[in-house]
Amino acid sequence: MLRIDDLVVRYDAAVALDGVSLELGGGEMMALVGPNGAGKSTLLNTISGLVPPASGTVTCEGRVAQVPEGRQMFPDMTVEDNLVLGGWSIRNRDLSEVMDLLPDLARLRKAKAGRLSGGQQQMVAIGRALMAKPDLLAIDELSLGLAPIVVAELAEHLRYLNRERGTAILLVEQEVSLAVELCPRTCVLEAGRVVASGPSAELAESDEVRRAYFGDLTVPDATLAGLTEVQS
Amino acid sequence: MKEFLTYVITGITLGASFALVGSGFVVVHRVTRVVNFAQGSFAVLAAMLAAWLLGGVLPHGAAEVGAVLICGLVGVAVGVIALGRRGTPPLISLIVTLGVSMLAAAAIILFWGQDPVSPPGLSGHLALLGVQVDRQRLLVLVATLLAFAVLGLFFSRTYLGKALTASASNPYAARLVGIDVRRMGLLAFALAGVLGGLAGVLVAPSNALSFSSDLPLALSGFAAAVFGGLSSPGRTLVGGLVLGVAGQLTAGYLDGSYQTEVALLLMVVIMIARSRTFVAEEAK
Amino acid sequence: MNSPKPSTVIVPVVSVAACIAPLLMSDLTFFVHTVLAAIVVTGLSLLMGYAGQASLGQGAFVAVGALTVGLGTTHAGLPPLLLLLVAPLAAALFAAVVGLPLLRLQGHYLAFGTLALLLLVQTAMSSVGALGGAYGISGIPAFGVGGWKVTGQLPYAYLALACLAVVLLLSRRVVNSRFGRGVRALSGSETAAESAGVAVGRDKVAMFALSAAFAGIAGAVTAFFTPYVSADSFPPLDSFTYVIMAVVGGLGTIWGGVVGAVLVSVLLQVLNTVGSQPGLPPTASSIIQYAAYGIVLILALLFLPRGVVPSLGSLPRRSALR
Repeated sequence: MLRIDDLVVRYDAAVALDGVSLELGGGEMMALVGPNGAGKSTLLNTISGLVPPASGTVTCEGRVAQVPEGRQMFPDMTVEDNLVLGGWSIRNRDLSEVMDLLPDLARLRKAKAGRLSGGQQQMVAIGRALMAKPDLLAIDELSLGLAPIVVAELAEHLRYLNRERGTAILLVEQEVSLAVELCPRTCVLEAGRVVASGPSAELAESDEVRRAYFGDLTVPDATLAGLTEVQS
Repeated sequence: MKEFLTYVITGITLGASFALVGSGFVVVHRVTRVVNFAQGSFAVLAAMLAAWLLGGVLPHGAAEVGAVLICGLVGVAVGVIALGRRGTPPLISLIVTLGVSMLAAAAIILFWGQDPVSPPGLSGHLALLGVQVDRQRLLVLVATLLAFAVLGLFFSRTYLGKALTASASNPYAARLVGIDVRRMGLLAFALAGVLGGLAGVLVAPSNALSFSSDLPLALSGFAAAVFGGLSSPGRTLVGGLVLGVAGQLTAGYLDGSYQTEVALLLMVVIMIARSRTFVAEEAK
Repeated sequence: MNSPKPSTVIVPVVSVAACIAPLLMSDLTFFVHTVLAAIVVTGLSLLMGYAGQASLGQGAFVAVGALTVGLGTTHAGLPPLLLLLVAPLAAALFAAVVGLPLLRLQGHYLAFGTLALLLLVQTAMSSVGALGGAYGISGIPAFGVGGWKVTGQLPYAYLALACLAVVLLLSRRVVNSRFGRGVRALSGSETAAESAGVAVGRDKVAMFALSAAFAGIAGAVTAFFTPYVSADSFPPLDSFTYVIMAVVGGLGTIWGGVVGAVLVSVLLQVLNTVGSQPGLPPTASSIIQYAAYGIVLILALLFLPRGVVPSLGSLPRRSALR
């Protein structure tokens, strides 16, 4: 349902994306990994329509909603208002579905979004994106700054969404093990180009991922062991 | 004591008009980070339009409403010019609106000449707390309080109002949920036109306005808005009232001709005193 | 490709033309005022372009310069040349004192703050007797050095040109100095400049004072030339016009002030003549003047945001590439 062909995106003189091509089927979960500055956020922003391509195409059958990096709340507004605004594009003000999916939000309805914890804000951000009834949920850095137990809970919600609603998920993640555990397919982005793409299990062990993350340094055995442990 | 009360009450009614103009600054700045130098021009334009409509065609009430609505449309036009292309820095927009205010002065002279205009308003007095107050001035106060109440409700209770607030609060997130931030900016300018126009039609019957009145009006409005850091309507109201009362007290106890200067000094002092908070807000 | 830089040809030509022009004109009021405006705007352009600070009340410093001369000659009987040199210093000192609190403001707050300053200076001038009061200061003697006194307008034209030359030379030195480079960092980001070791507060005040000094000397010459100083001599509209000239000419360029002042003054003079033709209503000139100000400013900012000088400067490069 999402097809990107040879996408080139520029920020002034710098090239952020240099001929990216990838495909995502309906109801699929795919991880997008890569080092800082690889262009992952730019790719999501282009898919969301915020950044115009210099050349190449982005074709999406259905609605895209993004859960941005750093949550990006409307800090002085309540959780309720944040959620309600999430549905602006389809004028959806009905919170019942999202409240069913993420029951913790009901408790936080009247709280000021700026005062919540990172994990709570992330939940609001997901809920806000879901208000647009998207076919594709693009998530930028789900785990950034969050405790593992919180991340695990959020991941569970995402699995549910994908399983029960058929929502496709494109997950940008620095935390490779999480991405790989959650998504059957992974795409590796480095310096604006796709350097590897395929089943997550294979990629976790691949040289490309290692190089993208660790360069030419020798990697401590413990970390490698951790990576391989995930998909065994 | 009665004198003091007179000054306070007159000051409050005067300050209400400052607050009304100031609210226009606040609405635009919240959403677009731009300060609209032409805010005073809306007021003068509305006064001219109201007088003209009253003289020719429309009855009281309809003429004023018509004038205010037209100013809303003019506001959109100003917004288009001021916001310019995407990525125009707010300081440039400020100077552009300076240019717009000059164009407005030219247009006003062209259509209505250089003489001050004072359309008829409510006549007579009312006794308030033992003080005689012009009914027109009382109308200004009532209308201002109503306008602020409506504005507050609009921003907090309506979908559109929330979208406007969101555009101000986090433009990136607003775009993500599909809000057209530029259109929200234009809406803010339209609102500013309406608020400025309202101030104009309410003030003009008591104080005649001419093509050059836009500068003192804009200055008093900005001074009021400064109290609220250019983003809080509530504190703008307070600021306006404080300025009005301070001005009247100066006029009464010191010297009548120094009202504007006192307001200016207060404005500068408050701006400097709050300058650290301003820097933090601009950095966002 | 090897053609000389335009500035090496244009500058001498324009300078010679500027020196000859006064000899050809009968009434030099327009010429002198334009040159003096160029002086003020050069300073303003530096302030706005390099330090990124907008000033809507530059006339306040012109007033200080004019007052120094006006009061110094009529009340203290001091020699004109001394006052001509003291005036810019007085204006700079005033700016430094006022700037210490005022320059904590940024962006639009500073713009309104400087406007407020101008209005307060005007009020002070019209209400305080010692500063001229309701009637202003008149009877300012002609400029002179030693025993010789100026007669007629021509010497003032050359005095103004001389001051402009000094101002331009000073600007070039300042822009190319370490101070200038430090200030350039300011207009990008204050916090970034600060972390780069630029003393933000002090440099802003210094630039503010420098632009005030330029305005002050223009004020001094005006006082001798007019020869009358009052609060009405410095209306806000004039200060807005300086901003328009600065924007049109090109913010932060050395020649932007001159180009802007000349272009806008000539345009206004032409429109004034058009507006006062018989057959047109008496309000025509005001309408045209305001409309011209507004349109020029809006068009300049939206279509030529960098101003005439930088846009011209990129032309030879473009033609070389063809």
